[in-house]
Amino acid sequence: MNASAVTADAGAARVEVAGLAAAYGSGDVAVRDVTFTAAGGEAVAVLGPNGGGKTTLFRALLGELPATTGSARAHGTIAYVPQTERSRLDFPVSALDVALMGAYARTPWYRRIAGADRTLARAALQRVGLAERAGTRFGALSGGQRQRALIARALVQDAGIVLLDEPFAGVDRSSEEAVMSILDELRAEGRVLLIATHDIEQARRWDQVLCLSTTQVAYGPPAQTLTTTVLESTYGAEIVVIDGGERAIAVQHHSHSHSS
Amino acid sequence: MRWLTDPLAVPFMQRALLATLLLAVAAGLLGVWIVLRRLAFFAHAVGTATFPGLVVAGPWGLAPPVAALGAGLGFAGLLSRMTRRGTTSADAATGLLLTAALALGAILASDVYRSGAGVDRLLFGTLLGLSDGDLALAAAAAAAAVLATAAMARTWLATGFDPAGARALGVSAARGDWLLLALLAMTVVAVLPAVGALLVSTLLVVPAATARLLTSSLATLLGAAVAIAALEGVGGLLLAYHLDLPPGPAIAVIGGAGFALAALASRTRAVR
Repeated sequence: MNASAVTADAGAARVEVAGLAAAYGSGDVAVRDVTFTAAGGEAVAVLGPNGGGKTTLFRALLGELPATTGSARAHGTIAYVPQTERSRLDFPVSALDVALMGAYARTPWYRRIAGADRTLARAALQRVGLAERAGTRFGALSGGQRQRALIARALVQDAGIVLLDEPFAGVDRSSEEAVMSILDELRAEGRVLLIATHDIEQARRWDQVLCLSTTQVAYGPPAQTLTTTVLESTYGAEIVVIDGGERAIAVQHHSHSHSS
Repeated sequence: MRWLTDPLAVPFMQRALLATLLLAVAAGLLGVWIVLRRLAFFAHAVGTATFPGLVVAGPWGLAPPVAALGAGLGFAGLLSRMTRRGTTSADAATGLLLTAALALGAILASDVYRSGAGVDRLLFGTLLGLSDGDLALAAAAAAAAVLATAAMARTWLATGFDPAGARALGVSAARGDWLLLALLAMTVVAVLPAVGALLVSTLLVVPAATARLLTSSLATLLGAAVAIAALEGVGGLLLAYHLDLPPGPAIAVIGGAGFALAALASRTRAVR
């Protein structure tokens, strides 16, 4: 069967991943043995180091990367909220233009975007607290505002499943709280949220945690999942345990990637 | 006003003017997408790559646009093959191939076919002898650019803005990219008679890059790029007529000055 059947009933949004393995063109397996189910109203933190397979899992769910074994199924409309640094900040689009992209799928190429969708896009911006910045160029918004504009785009798509790639990276404190409360609302509305993060503290805030380090290390509620053993398997030697094992943080070695 | 009215009374200048205005629409609109998608160097290289094709067109009895298109497609094919393994970067391969194409064209023109004075025309364009076919191609390119921009603007915008998210938005990135590259090839071939193989960027990149300095809304950007291409094109034609220059370099000089002015204007605005 198709590895990424996308069905359209957003009411019963659900993500089912069974024995998934996926690889890039080079043949290297990027992620394997991933099995979990997330139902509407559940927020799942996808935790792991860079290169651990978070992005690969998302690409498999989006249908961009075929499963080599197993399957990744998204039951419901799926939206992708990228890291804002990955989008082109020099593009001639306003916050409203970005929100309107959520209506592209239902707009035939020979039509203008419907008035109802424009109303929807403005309402979505209002909801994420960007009503006053609707006309501001996307690249001129702060990191947190850009994240919220991209979430507004997912709202206009009316996606039952929202994949967020490091939604708190490069986001200031006040925006972080704003983004957090929007995500809580989306979850309360019965959507499935998959939140990729390498931040263990962040992962503790959600219903379930999926720990990925090329392979699936653990899946379950944070209290049971985020044990020292699991975190060591997820991050290898990059883990630092503090407070007698109650708290752990992952040390990211960013410095190496910036040398040229 | 005679500097303006005299040239326009000459039939070959009327044809050149018509061609320039049509090409301004084609290259201005497409140029916006080329600049937004960072294809400027690629577009320049496709233009240069057509040079050996243009050189052999006469001796081989081919229509110049067909020979140019063949050479341009050959370039694109080689580029895709050279970069497939990932060991050669796209910009290095592009630079290598455009140099090779220019060298091949120069050798063919000087030593094999002895094209003589015709080489300038191929490299820098001509005001004289624009054929009905050239005008028809310019009109077709203009119509294609208008239609494609109307139909594909959302696809190209979403794909360029956020390639990873485009598919989830229901946008077919691959189809849009192929269409953009096909239109780029067609427009390059259409501007060749006017500005020559070496200077396709004067119409295809410079007006859009200039317009980007002045506005950040897509609709204004598209309109401004067409207007700037038309102004610079007509200005270049008049300059070429009065100073007896090939049109390509004349338009290029005006384009460079226009870009500098726009950069100054946008900086002044930013400081204020």
